[in-house]
Amino acid sequence: MTHAIEVEGLVRRFGEFTAVRGVSFQVETGEIFGYLGANGAGKSTTIRILCGLLSPSEGKATVAGHDVGTDSEGVRLSVGYMSQKFSLYPDLTALENLDFFGGAYRLPVRKRRARARELMIDVGLEPSDLTLTGAMPGGLRQRVALAAALLHEPRIVFLDEPTAGVDPVARRIFWRTIRRIADTGVTIFVTTHYMDEAEYCSRVGLMVDGALVALDTPSRLKAQFVPGVVYEVRGAHAEQELLRELPGVRRVEPFGAGLHVGGDERLQKKDIEVALGRAGARNASVESILPTLEDVFLAVVARKGQA
Amino acid sequence: MRARGRGTLRRIGAMARKEWMHIGRDSATLYFALVMPLLLLVLFGYALSFDLDRIPTCILDRDHTQESRGLAQHLFSGKTFEPAGYLAREDEVEPLFRQRKAAVAVVIPKGFGAALGRGEPARVQLLIDAADNVTAGLVLSYMSRFVDANNRVLVESVTGARPGFALPRVRALYNPDLRSTVFLVPGLIAFIQSMMGVLLTALTVAREWERGSMEQLFATPVGRFEIILGKLLPYFGVGLAQLLLVLTVGTWLFDVPIRGSLALLFGISSLFLVACLGQGLFISTVTRNQMVATQIAAVTSMLPAALLSGLIIPIENMPRVLQLFTQVLPARHFVSALRGVLLRGASPLSTLPDAVALGLFALVMLAGSIRAFRKVIA
Repeated sequence: MTHAIEVEGLVRRFGEFTAVRGVSFQVETGEIFGYLGANGAGKSTTIRILCGLLSPSEGKATVAGHDVGTDSEGVRLSVGYMSQKFSLYPDLTALENLDFFGGAYRLPVRKRRARARELMIDVGLEPSDLTLTGAMPGGLRQRVALAAALLHEPRIVFLDEPTAGVDPVARRIFWRTIRRIADTGVTIFVTTHYMDEAEYCSRVGLMVDGALVALDTPSRLKAQFVPGVVYEVRGAHAEQELLRELPGVRRVEPFGAGLHVGGDERLQKKDIEVALGRAGARNASVESILPTLEDVFLAVVARKGQA
Repeated sequence: MRARGRGTLRRIGAMARKEWMHIGRDSATLYFALVMPLLLLVLFGYALSFDLDRIPTCILDRDHTQESRGLAQHLFSGKTFEPAGYLAREDEVEPLFRQRKAAVAVVIPKGFGAALGRGEPARVQLLIDAADNVTAGLVLSYMSRFVDANNRVLVESVTGARPGFALPRVRALYNPDLRSTVFLVPGLIAFIQSMMGVLLTALTVAREWERGSMEQLFATPVGRFEIILGKLLPYFGVGLAQLLLVLTVGTWLFDVPIRGSLALLFGISSLFLVACLGQGLFISTVTRNQMVATQIAAVTSMLPAALLSGLIIPIENMPRVLQLFTQVLPARHFVSALRGVLLRGASPLSTLPDAVALGLFALVMLAGSIRAFRKVIA
């Protein structure tokens, strides 16, 4: 087996609507594969197909050597799945939840108790915690769900928006855990719409309207889609048109509280400051920054819009 | 194969244990399972009685003889009739009916005593409030029973000899006092049990769909057969506890005999329970929505169990088509089997048709649930 996941021409339709349109890619064993896209771009549908929960309308997908269309049982045994919504039982404690899912994966009683405790410590939970998961804060609940997905020692783990609605600190801790798991040789397939999280991934695929429009390592994606330089301009929101006129500028996009100005090597920080000063935007600040994946995403979407 | 079988057992066990924890932690389930049935039983048991006693009766005695006073005295000697007033004029009767102070009036005309003395037929007039025809019918039948008995006494006392005409000696088997509760309570137990049994499981599968835990469950190798069976088992335990409670309290509180074998009672009840739980599971599986499931469960269990099970309305009195339809209702078979076992001490053989029908229904419901269970997210 060369690849952990192989997808070839995958299509999924729901009646008239096509959620996934002809997606192909491979995921190497042991990598953290990020799947990026807006809500409704087809990320969750892809994950569900790869977990054997949905059958593909067209195309072929092999997960851990099992064909998702014909051997979904085999797929289920070899993958862990953490769904978008917290989907454990809120009226059970973390340990009881894990104990149940251990039984569902038919681990022997004694083994699953030991494994549940070990995993709870691994993801930073206290095994003796008797809080019902329904009463836990979101960050802790996500960790319980992650532990549940790892119970049967799967070779591949699918995480569907694992950090949605979780505070930044908890997100950081969560990602640290994910990287540690990946270091043990487990393949991670993760969807997110937090662009900063995608930086943790070894490779990132960009989904737009059901199609995979770009796939590469974060740095190569940046080089390909956001070549040249990027400046962050603050306090000059009204001057977008002016900035667009400067030599070498390729794009000007609102980004958080400021603007991102992208262009080739001709574009200098000084030129921007001079232009803004002339326009009377004296409080404006200009910083040279490294492009983020969000820049990539915006560039990809803009390019797709032109095409 | 062997390893696979053990895996199945392990997964069913895990499902059942988890379900058991849900039940234990949800006070609503426990309330539904154990408190509601008892409340219903006591409420309906006392409310639903076809027996009347202490019927308020007024007497209009125009005769004023020893015989007429004897008749009234005899009438009020039992518990059935109770004096509601001695009147002087006939137009005093209706106001009493309207105020619901009396349900029947006995008018003894002048010459009643004299006629009896001559050995001639003496007439007595009865006025009945027939606004409620069921009560009126009962009053009438009690009255004629009383008149028959009174006549026998009269004949004996006048002639000093035993009458020479045929007198039927009635012995009511299985229910010597002809109390309607003895007949009603087994039906009531079946009614409560079918409603509660279906409701217990109607939510379980739908709840998992709504919470999203079903998706997580589907990502595991647990099969639909294992899910259904794992859910059935703990509720079977709860259902049995419920049934035991209702049976014990019902027979003890309303003085209903248990003449048949306890093993047979247990067997029939178990079949019926699986049938009800299966029906609930089926509804839950198909609807995937707790609200809808509750509504459907209540309608499909309560209505047939109340109206078509023979609980109140005898099945023999129904139109032929309806009679045939009742054959598919588990409540109908349980009512008939329960009455048989409790009151007549029925043998296993005579309850076999009902047992087979219950078993079939249970099987169809469980098979239906497993079939309707799609292990995909639509």
